[in-house]
Amino acid sequence: MLLLDILISGLVLGGMYALISMGLTLQYGVARIMNLAYGEFLVGAAFLAFWLYSTIGISPLAGLILAVPLAFLANWAIYRWLLTPLVRRAKSRGQLEVDSILATFGLLFIVQGIALVLFGGQYYSYGYLSVPVSILGTTLALNRVIAFIFAGLIGVGLYLALTRTRTGTAIRAIAVNPTAASLVAIDVRTASAFAFALGGAMVAAGGVLVSMFLTFNASMGVVFTMKALIVVIVGGVGNVLGALVVGLALGVIETGVTRLVDPGLTLAVTYALFMIVLLVRPQGLFGSAVR
Amino acid sequence: MSLARAPLIALAVLAALLLAGLPLVASGYVLALAIGMLNFTILATAWALFSGPTHYISLASAAFFGIGAYTAAMMAETVPWPLVLVAATLAGFAVALVVGLSTLRLSGVYFVIFTFGLTELIRQLVTWYEVIVAGTVGRYLFLGMPQSTIYWQLLALAVAVLVIGWLIGRSRLGLAARVIGADEVVARHSGIDTTRTKIVLFAISSAIMALAGAIMAPRWTYIDPAIAFNPMISFQVVIMALLGGAGALFGPLLGAVPLVLLFEVLQANFPNAYSILLGAVFILIVYGLPRGVIGLIEDWRPAASRSVATLPSRAPRDPNVLTISDLKKSFGGLSAVDSVSFDVRPGEIIGLVGPNGSGKTSVLNLISGALKPDAGQIFYLGRPINGANPETIARLGVARTFQLVRVLPSMSVVENVIPGFAFRARHVTGAAAHEEALALLARVGLEHRAATPASELTYIDQKRLELARALALEPKLLLLDEWLAGLNPTELEEGIALIQSLRFDGLSIIMVEHVMDAIHALCDRCVVMNAGRVIAHGTPRLALAEPEVVRAYLGEDDA
Repeated sequence: MLLLDILISGLVLGGMYALISMGLTLQYGVARIMNLAYGEFLVGAAFLAFWLYSTIGISPLAGLILAVPLAFLANWAIYRWLLTPLVRRAKSRGQLEVDSILATFGLLFIVQGIALVLFGGQYYSYGYLSVPVSILGTTLALNRVIAFIFAGLIGVGLYLALTRTRTGTAIRAIAVNPTAASLVAIDVRTASAFAFALGGAMVAAGGVLVSMFLTFNASMGVVFTMKALIVVIVGGVGNVLGALVVGLALGVIETGVTRLVDPGLTLAVTYALFMIVLLVRPQGLFGSAVR
Repeated sequence: MSLARAPLIALAVLAALLLAGLPLVASGYVLALAIGMLNFTILATAWALFSGPTHYISLASAAFFGIGAYTAAMMAETVPWPLVLVAATLAGFAVALVVGLSTLRLSGVYFVIFTFGLTELIRQLVTWYEVIVAGTVGRYLFLGMPQSTIYWQLLALAVAVLVIGWLIGRSRLGLAARVIGADEVVARHSGIDTTRTKIVLFAISSAIMALAGAIMAPRWTYIDPAIAFNPMISFQVVIMALLGGAGALFGPLLGAVPLVLLFEVLQANFPNAYSILLGAVFILIVYGLPRGVIGLIEDWRPAASRSVATLPSRAPRDPNVLTISDLKKSFGGLSAVDSVSFDVRPGEIIGLVGPNGSGKTSVLNLISGALKPDAGQIFYLGRPINGANPETIARLGVARTFQLVRVLPSMSVVENVIPGFAFRARHVTGAAAHEEALALLARVGLEHRAATPASELTYIDQKRLELARALALEPKLLLLDEWLAGLNPTELEEGIALIQSLRFDGLSIIMVEHVMDAIHALCDRCVVMNAGRVIAHGTPRLALAEPEVVRAYLGEDDA
């Protein structure tokens, strides 16, 4: 049952991608910040979880309680102090995109540099709940299954919050059109800061969960940023459901390529699919054409 | 070449000659530092060649540098060195073409994202190839090339890059890139093939980076993909170009030299915190010097242009300037243009009127190529133009203005007009274009503001400027989208007189307009639209009095 095997392992991995990408779609789709340092916060959270577990013995799941609010505050501060001047200065969306890309590109090297100073360049992992469980004949590590369940809970929670609450509705309105949103009395600046911070909190949650089963090092953030960007664009910018579906699909495709072709070619395949989607449907699979 | 330039050029030649003598006197350490400066000057200048004017940010310098270095590592043992350099340049050029063809047709941010991951992608592909196919993890490179040889090669390349940059800046290619950076839509409607411009510039810039990589390769005796494709290089190149100022030819040079020194000091004294400090320097530059050092030194550089290409022009004869038949366009379920047919005869002014949302601007967009029709035919001077690109249609002599005024804000008034001259079928460039541009500005009443940045014009003057830009294309058909809207009574009178005078020059005009006085004064015929359909057609007096037209404007009861 190789195919079922690929499907289940792929969905478990895809759940992580979906969670990470939903955070990025909040940052880019709502707050209009193209955050190239996004993956560095994932790695940062992974190191935090590692440190908590290996020195104080706090389980990563309990570590979430610390990491998520911390990341929320940190990202809120970044938006407030680092990015708001750029938002104010930008005359157009295009200019904000360019400025935010450059500013977060610098931020990437700062965060990565801090991680390098603290932990060095080597790979880290820790064995938490790495006991095998069997699901439909496929053997998986328990930590992967738990991570997937947590990712699912967080993702569903976000989806409900966005579709069922006033704040969520305001955030979705800004994703469609910030100018129009401010015309119906939505405080765009505050809501954007909130969305950016929420996105940062989600990627931190992703980082803690990923650290339970993946080996990681200080310079791996770029790969996660890249994958999340691809998922967000293929899924349609600002579309949370699109990020969820495409994230899961990416996990399955990567697992398939790893098992059937070669682990070294996963990124190439991801890129190829990205290009095909861009050329056929530039607005993303689930996005609607703007203008 | 002006006389004022001559001493500068003499100075540059002297500087290059002096620099060429450096290896004869300098120590090994100084020479190594100079090699670093030259390398980054080349990379940053090449980067700015494309990203400077177009504002398309490439984060893939390391990918192309690495392609060159790795090509050299694979070939140097078996092939003569000059051939290695040629192969590396071609490899960089080819990869850039593939990347450009697939991403540069899209909006800028996709290009940035793609280049962001390109280095990692190519590194993984090369690693995979080495491990699976070639069965190695890296390459040894024992050429024994002395530092001075590398230095001289880099110096020659640096000079070449600056000369290439200078030539491109003066060419129509450079002008096209600057217009793209200012407003891509205007660029296309000025007759610029934007995709081709971007791809050509990106490929040239990438080929130079690959060549620099190949020249630098012998400095390492061992090269593996992680060394060749080091993402830090992309990052440093962008910082240097931004610090110096990516908009000017010598900007990146001004950034590269001090930053190579700074990085050297940082790396020597704070090897651990190097990346943190680099990031901080970068952020400071983005916030503090958005236009770079050069932006502080000079405000803008007057840009002349010279012809590089010719375009065929032919115009088969046809009694009508424009014939539209059964034109259709819908957006989702909404039928914006539904079976519209009309024609425009030489020297005629057609008024396109109707309530808001009736499809008038869509018709203009279909004629000018901004939209592709779902069905129907558009013949311009007897040749079909439906579905053609905006730039092709503009070059044939169909010019337009926009309902929401679009000028190139960062460029001066006269520079706004020059693209039309430079990219039309019978193109004029250089001083002649400047002269004609001033004459055209005089015609619309803007001659006294020629040197002002377009962003500083009032709304009315921006409208005048848009008209001048359209006229620079030497159009036979002019599309005006509510050009008279928002003018005060005096200005309206002047505007009407101006349009009238264009007709006497033999232009045909389609004007979308709500100002009824102007329609009665100017239009030979009116096409009245409602909900995407033509509901009346004829002289303004008759067409506007039709019961259906009154109903469309005023509602059922007043008919």
